[in-house]
Amino acid sequence: MIERYNLFLHEFSQEESKELQLFSIIAQSFFQPFSLMDNLLVIMTALTAGPGLGFNRVMLFLTDGDSLKGEFWLGPASAEEAEAIWRVLSTPGIGYPEIIEHNRSLLTSATDTLTKRVKKLSYPLYKEQSLIPALTASARQMILVRDAQNEPAVDRRFAETIGTEEFLCIPLVSQKDVLGEFILDNAITKLSISSRDIELASICGLMASNYIYTAKLQKRIVDMKKVAAMGEMAMFVTHQLRNPLVTIGGFADQLLDPQTGQNKKKRNVQIIRSEIRRLEKILLRLSQFLRIDVREKVAVDVQDMLNLVQESVRPRISSRNISLDVEIEAGLRVILCDPTNVGEAVRNVLDNAIDAVGSEGHIDLRAYRQDADWAVIAVQDTGKGIPEAIKDKIFDSFVSTKEKGMGLGLAYVKRVVDACGGRIEVKSAAGKGTTFKLYFQTQPRERGTKS
Amino acid sequence: MKKKLLIVEDERNLCLLYREELTKAGYRVTAVTDAEAALEKMKKLKFDLIVTDIRMPGKNGIELITQVMALRKDIPIIINTAYQSYKHDFMTWAADAYVVKSASLDELKAKIKELIG
Repeated sequence: MIERYNLFLHEFSQEESKELQLFSIIAQSFFQPFSLMDNLLVIMTALTAGPGLGFNRVMLFLTDGDSLKGEFWLGPASAEEAEAIWRVLSTPGIGYPEIIEHNRSLLTSATDTLTKRVKKLSYPLYKEQSLIPALTASARQMILVRDAQNEPAVDRRFAETIGTEEFLCIPLVSQKDVLGEFILDNAITKLSISSRDIELASICGLMASNYIYTAKLQKRIVDMKKVAAMGEMAMFVTHQLRNPLVTIGGFADQLLDPQTGQNKKKRNVQIIRSEIRRLEKILLRLSQFLRIDVREKVAVDVQDMLNLVQESVRPRISSRNISLDVEIEAGLRVILCDPTNVGEAVRNVLDNAIDAVGSEGHIDLRAYRQDADWAVIAVQDTGKGIPEAIKDKIFDSFVSTKEKGMGLGLAYVKRVVDACGGRIEVKSAAGKGTTFKLYFQTQPRERGTKS
Repeated sequence: MKKKLLIVEDERNLCLLYREELTKAGYRVTAVTDAEAALEKMKKLKFDLIVTDIRMPGKNGIELITQVMALRKDIPIIINTAYQSYKHDFMTWAADAYVVKSASLDELKAKIKELIG
């Protein structure tokens, strides 16, 4: 027999397990897709909220280069404000989620007076090692200051900013680096900081350190991926450019050879010209891919846009035995970043469909309203389908099944659709065909502006 | 007797260039645009040397080399590619020379001369 328990407990059996509840809330925030500051805010809320550890205020410093910089200061600015906040917080039904939500609004508020004050503080980590907060971080120890006025480790500026005699400094560190610092006080209630407070606050400090460290690692991984992608791209571009250049150079050399006859010279010039055009095309594709202008989204008439697109692919279709059916829901409008890019993206999908179909087959281009919020532009072909081996990679740059493909077409499509806040669905069956559905937000109809 | 070269190069224009230039250099040249065609030609003619690209649609140059070596262990092979980076790949060691494509065919010609005269 087994018993099952929810991983995310919201209620605990014993009333006095205040700390347990507190840490559960913090731990659960790991599962939220919030930013680093959002997650730190959960910990800071736990440190200050009435039902939690109950510190009055918490100041956050984060490492920026070689300095500790004031980032955020959570808590009431005055006794009156404290009373007002605490009155609200003691209302029945107000729990952690509500408090966190309230505090989150302070994060983005430019008028929060405490945060404004702490943002003016910056302490070099190595030059001012003897001063709080740099002292705490370099010593990698918690420091409890009891008498700020007479403490040489507290400079005037800091003492004036915090405005209270007793406060607790908790370093946020990783194995090697200084990440930041919490400074906690009870400026309003004047309650002395107990050893129990220090113990619990230290655990919060370690959890915050973990958040910051993980966030920094993630950023480094993303950066490394970018560098790797650039390397891959440099290699690809080298190859793409080298072949036409070698061809041009080789045939140009022949032009200079006095033994080369007139006819051959003419042929060489034609080859050189076509290779130069190819180079130009490569550069055009690349620059188009590298800088997609995400302009303001404008409402675009899908009919107009798709008419232009289908006209541009007609010449490719007319030389083969391919039928193209276009069906556009009347009056449909969608919101796009700009019609040029989206038009080009749809053309890319159509081009792929034509390549997949080959010499004979059918392509459907349709646009319709999916529901109140979304419109779909769909391209369905009866082509050979996407090979199983590259199904997961079709939107990666430089993945192509075509002889002369650069593998930028679908990567471009994805970037454009992403930039518009849309999404893509692909269905493909080998030998039967492929359907691409591009989803775009429709223009809201007389519902005012949506956030 | 002219020495016989087999060139495998997927770019048609380059293929043409190599055929003309190496013919001018005194070789009997067969140029094809993919690995399958190369293997077909090998069944009919006894070539003295193969020049192949690596990145080609269908069978790539490395696969071609593996199959060529199964057919004719002794035949000299030159890899001629736009990529520098394959030079240290394990399988490219099986080739006798590695040439990075250049607008000047001097290096390629020199390597061919070095290997078969």
